[in-house]
This record gives sequence, structure tokens and C-alpha cells, in this order.
Amino acid sequence: MIGDIFAWLGDMENSKPLALILFFSAFVGIILYVYTGKRRKQRLESYKDIPFMEDDELDPTRQKKQQVKKDESTNGK
Amino acid sequence: MSTNAVPVATEQYNYGIVKKFAIMAMIWGVLGMLAGVYIASELAWPFLNFNIAEITFGRLRPVHTTLVIFGFGGSALFATSYYIVQRTCQARLWGGRLLPELTFWGWQLALVLGVITYMAGYTQGREYAEFVWPIDLLITVVWVIYFAVFAMTLVKRSQPHIYVANWFFMAFILATALLHIFNNLQVPVAWNSLESYSLFAGVQDAMTQWWYGHNAVGFFLTAAFLGMMYYFVPKQAGRPIYSYRLSIVHFWALSFLYMWVGAHHLHWTALPDWVSTLAATFSILLLLPSWGGMINGIMTLSGAWEKLRTDPIMLFLITALAFYGMSTFEGPMMSLKSVNALSHYTDWTVGHVHSGALGWVAMITIGSFYHLIPRLWGTTLYSTKLVFVHFWLATIGVVLYIVALWVAGIGQGLMLRAFDQYGNLAYTFIETVTFMHIPYVVRAIGGAFFLSGMLLMSYNLYMTISGARQSASTEGRDAVAAAAR
Amino acid sequence: MKHESIEINSGLLIVLTLMVISIGGLVEIVPLFHIEETVEEVDGVRPYTPLELRGRDIYVREGCYTCHSQMIRPFRDEMLRYGHYSLAAESQYDHPFQWGSKRTGPDLARVGGKYSNEWQTQHLVDPQSLVPESIMPGYPWLLEDELDYSQIEARMVAQARVGVPYSRTQSEYEANVEQFGQEMADKLHVSNGVEVLEAQAAAENWDGDPDRITEMDALVAYLQMLGTMVDFSKYEDGHFNQFR
Repeated sequence: MIGDIFAWLGDMENSKPLALILFFSAFVGIILYVYTGKRRKQRLESYKDIPFMEDDELDPTRQKKQQVKKDESTNGK
Repeated sequence: MSTNAVPVATEQYNYGIVKKFAIMAMIWGVLGMLAGVYIASELAWPFLNFNIAEITFGRLRPVHTTLVIFGFGGSALFATSYYIVQRTCQARLWGGRLLPELTFWGWQLALVLGVITYMAGYTQGREYAEFVWPIDLLITVVWVIYFAVFAMTLVKRSQPHIYVANWFFMAFILATALLHIFNNLQVPVAWNSLESYSLFAGVQDAMTQWWYGHNAVGFFLTAAFLGMMYYFVPKQAGRPIYSYRLSIVHFWALSFLYMWVGAHHLHWTALPDWVSTLAATFSILLLLPSWGGMINGIMTLSGAWEKLRTDPIMLFLITALAFYGMSTFEGPMMSLKSVNALSHYTDWTVGHVHSGALGWVAMITIGSFYHLIPRLWGTTLYSTKLVFVHFWLATIGVVLYIVALWVAGIGQGLMLRAFDQYGNLAYTFIETVTFMHIPYVVRAIGGAFFLSGMLLMSYNLYMTISGARQSASTEGRDAVAAAAR
Repeated sequence: MKHESIEINSGLLIVLTLMVISIGGLVEIVPLFHIEETVEEVDGVRPYTPLELRGRDIYVREGCYTCHSQMIRPFRDEMLRYGHYSLAAESQYDHPFQWGSKRTGPDLARVGGKYSNEWQTQHLVDPQSLVPESIMPGYPWLLEDELDYSQIEARMVAQARVGVPYSRTQSEYEANVEQFGQEMADKLHVSNGVEVLEAQAAAENWDGDPDRITEMDALVAYLQMLGTMVDFSKYEDGHFNQFR
């Protein structure tokens, strides 16, 4: 029985259905992982705010708080 | 010394390298498109070749493709990836001052040497990979440093999650490395000769080259610019991306599928049929993630559509996505063997490439730069009105270009396969060349429109930057002192 | 995923991405080197003579592939216009391949022998003098510039390194005699390079100027050879369809 499965797996002719099953189940796995679970939804969707978490917007009217890393102030000019 | 004119961010982040790459992207963009308009004109008016070896179509065409893809596109990607990875990781670029600078000078050197060698007649004869072997080695070194800088910045980020834009940039860096190495395997004629012969021959070489060629489109010109899109569209719209979960599926599906499709450039050739069937199948599948990405970008604006009336930068970004959607529909269609039988070897392919390259790649870059440049220099854009004008120049240019080459390509394809009532060929080849004269003229005009838009943009950005410098110098001596240091 | 260390996450992203992007290329490219039917067995296909090789270098240098393909597809119109469709075997010694991607001008896979040497030379110098509607650039410098064949042996050795059977040793030479015949094997022997090239240039006087060996000599010799190696009359109709 087990031997039959290995024989089937080892046959190059069966590589196409095998690959199809593997890739398709990986795809379904990703879809299921991404689109199931309320907590996971909240966590994943929370990442879309990352571009807006920047501590500065280079807005000249806003007060800058962070003065850290002053040691590297000679950069890039 | 911390006046408003010198924002904190310039100390926290390495913006100097971003500025350098951004300026060079504009310069290469103008030069590359100028070369493009010139070779387009050579096709319409062949006397423009002037019997001068260095400027004949065959030698200038790689100059055009290299400058727009690697000069304009590449420099824009270095600039935006360095900017985005720092800001979304909230970490300064790794590698100190030296390593990012090395990527800059190495990349610019490769481009300059590339242009000189092409015009002098040194080429590998591989499309989009014409660089001779010493330049290939230089690019490899630059790319390894780029990978190290980008990856190490990710590693030392202070934001726990890696934002999806960086995923796309990482895929682009890895895929480009893979493609570059395997497509450039070659044996030089001698150690002191610029010439070389490719390791593979014939059918294997063709497959390797188009695996490279199409994935230069897939990862260099698509995945990386999607990274740009996933940052700048939300920023400019002032609202987060439509669906983060869609972006995850989008990323993995696109990365997986793209690498299979290169062989659709070799339909009906001596390449074994099974490879081109496989490539055609995956090309059709590729429509799904491509449109997933397009929808994700466009729907980000959902509920704020009125921005399209007032904000020309948003107009550029959304139009870019629309062109992306159009060319990722056209592409799978052209990969069908029956359509490809007509379209292949004709200008339809060239038109398709440009609807992607001008409509998608250039427009998303232009929109991103109008957002980025004022922020880099801590100022506002010199003129929004000029951005509107640029938008219309660019759009008219792309539409003229694509339509002209649809006419040229489909027309030529149909003429070449036409038979008269006796079963003889209805047209000679040269009759199709005569037919294409008017479309070629229109195409050159379309290109000139697009180029004039780029010149207008350069002027607008120049005034923006010099305005920022002036206000910096009038606002305080401290700022000047800091800037001079 | 928050509990995982940062390094592992970005490392994981790199590893997974590499895996995902490698599959397509592996599946499509690697078998091409192993499946025997990829390149069919055909009589007559041989490496280029030294003069043809230099001509091919010039063909690549001038970017001819940007406007001319060398790949005839199996369609009625193409076979009427250009000849029998191209076989994989016919480009098996092409480093790099020159199939092209765009026909601004016609396909050249079987242009050899279709026009005279005089026509080719005149057409390359001034295309519009023969085909007024042509949009091809002129290449007059090919007729002015002497052919540089100082490195011809190095070129043949480099080609041999990537698998083209130019012979360097006696045993390689004998294998070539077996496969291509004595006359051709002599031309493919690396140490004969200069001599063979000069002899071929003198024999046909490709560019109409017997006194000098110009780049035109080499390019015309290459063009006149294109597509002439396989004698299709020796095979039954449809013989090659089994390899498609």
C-alpha cells in the first residue's frame, strides 16, 4: 500500500497532477489563512496603517519631538 | 540649530541617497525617452540614421531600453525603495554612508559605460541585457550591496511588521539577482576583450533569455513598482490601502506565477510545444493577481473620488493603475497562441510594452515623485497647474503611441498573412513597411508628447528644489551651516 | 508572528520568496537540457567557419536582431515567404541565439543564397538604392573597415568552451572529420583559423574588392550561409512535425 503510493509519486508522468495538487492546496491554504478568523483579520488589516505611523510628516508647521540619533546628523548632504 | 527648514527626518533617515537617485532618475528618464523619440523617428524617416554607426537604430535601441528601464526605472526604484524601507521600518538605512553611496555610484557608472559601449558596438546581443561582461560583473556587485543594505534595514527595523511594499521590493531584488546571474552566463573571448559568447545556445539560450526578458518586466517593471504603489497611493490619498489581506494574496500569487510565463515570447518557434503551452496557461492565470493589485490600488480611493478632480498627483497614480489593468489584460490575451500568431514580431508587441512602460511604470513613478520630491526637500511643489498640464501631455502621448502601434501591428500582421484568390501571398514585405509609415509618424509624435511632459516635470521639480534651497538660506544661517556640513 | 524574532521573519520572507520565484524557471528551463527531443537530429548543421563567425559577430554588434528575426514559424504565409520553418537544430551552435523578437524587416533565417553577393553588399551600403521604400539604415563603414581577425583563434576557443565543436586536439579533429567530413573539419580546427578565414575571404570575393578583407566580406559570408545547412529535399514532407 505505502509502496504503491511511493511508486506513484516516483513516476515522472504523475508529476503534473501532483504539482497541481501541491500548488493549488498551497494557494487554498494561503486564502484560508488570510481570510479566516476575526482576530487575524483585525491583526492583518491593522498593518495597512504602517505608512501613517511615521513620526514626522516633514510638515514644517508641526513640532518635532524626536531628536534622537543626533549623532548621525552629518548624513546625506 | 533645529529650525523648521532642516527637518528632523533628514537626520533620522538617510535622505541624501534618496535625493541623488531621484535626480538621476529624472535625468536618465529624459535622456532615455529622447533616445526613444529619436529611434522612433529613425523608423519613420530613415535618413536620420545619417550613415553614422554610433546612432543607427540597432545601436541606439539598447541605449533607449537600458536608459529607460535601468536608468529611469532602476534609479527611481533605488530612490523609492530606500525611502519606503526607512519610513515603514522606522529605521535608518543600514550600511552607514558608504554602502548606499556605492550602490549609487556603481549603478550610474554601469549606465554610463553601457551607453558608451553600445554606441561603440559592444553588446551581448541579448535584449534588455546587452551590457558586456565587465559591466555585468559591476552590476552584480552593486546588486549584492543593494540586497545587503535593504535586507539589513529590514532586520534592524523598529516596526514589528514588515509592510507589504517592502515584500515587493525584496522579491524584485531577489528575482533580479537570479535573472541577472543566469542570463549572463558567458565566456569572454579573452580577458582583455569586451566580447563574449553566451554559455547556452539556440533553444536553451532563447528560453533563458525570455525567462529573463519577461521577468525583467515582471519583477523589475511590475513587482517593484507595485511596491511603490502600495506606499505612495495610500500616502497621497491620505487613506490606507483598500485591503491588506488582498495585498498578501496578491504578492504570493504574482511572485509565483510570473516566473512561468516568459516562454510566451517564443510561441510557434523551435521551442518545444509543452513549454509554450505551460507559459500561455500561466499567463492567463496571471490576470487574476494583476487585477487584484489594480483593484486594491484603485479602491483605496473609494469614497474619495473627488480627489481626482483636484489632485493631479492622484490622477497620475490612478491612471497608472488603469493602464496597468489594461496592459495586464492585453498581455494574457497576446499570450494566447492564436492571437500571438498574428501579434508576434509586429509592433503590437512594442505598443503593448509601452502601454505598460509609459502608462504604468512611468506614470506611477511620476506620481510618486511629485509626492516624494517636495517632502525630501521639506517644501511644497512649485506648481500644481504644471502637473495637470504634464498629466494631459503624458496621457495624450501614451494614447497616440498605443493606438498607432495597434494599427501598425495588427495591420502588418493581417497583411502578411493575406492571400489573393490564387492562393499567393497578397502583399510583399516591403508593402507592409510602406503601410506602417503613418503609424510610425504618429508613434514618434506620441513619444514626443510624453517626452515634453517629462521636460515640464523636470522644470517643475527644479523650481521646487531651488525654491526650497532659497527659503532655507533666507530662513536662518544655522540651517545653511547645517546643510553645508 | 509577533513572538518570532525579527531576524527570522525577514529571513523567512527572503527564503520563501526565493523558493516561490525559483519554481517556474526550474520547471521550464532545466528539462530543455535533458529532454532529447528538444533539439532534433538533422544532417548538415555545422559550426560556423571562421569568416562566418566574424560575420555573425558583426551581425550582433550592429544590432541586426533588433529588426530581423531568424525564426520561421510553421505557418503557410511564412513558409511561402521565407521557406521551411526553422528547426531547433539549426540554431544549436548559436551563442547567443538570434531568433529576434521583432520584424521591422523580413526574417533572415533562410536569406542565404536568395540574393547575389553584389546585391547584399550594395543593399548594406545603401538599402534605398535597391529598395526605395526601405527604412533600413545604411552600413557603408562595413565596406571601409578592414576585418579585425587577430583574435580569431581566441574566439574559436571561447566558442569551444561553451560547447561548439571547434577542434583543438587531434582527437577532437578526428571526431569532426567523422561528423562533418575532412574538408569542413579542417576549417573548424582552431590553429587553422587565420589561414582558413583568409582563404574563404579570397575564394568568393564577397564584397567585390579582392584586395582587402573587410567587415562586409565577413557579414555577407554569414548572410549567404544562413538557412542553407539543412537540405530539406532529403526529408519527407512532415518529417519534422514529430519533434514539435
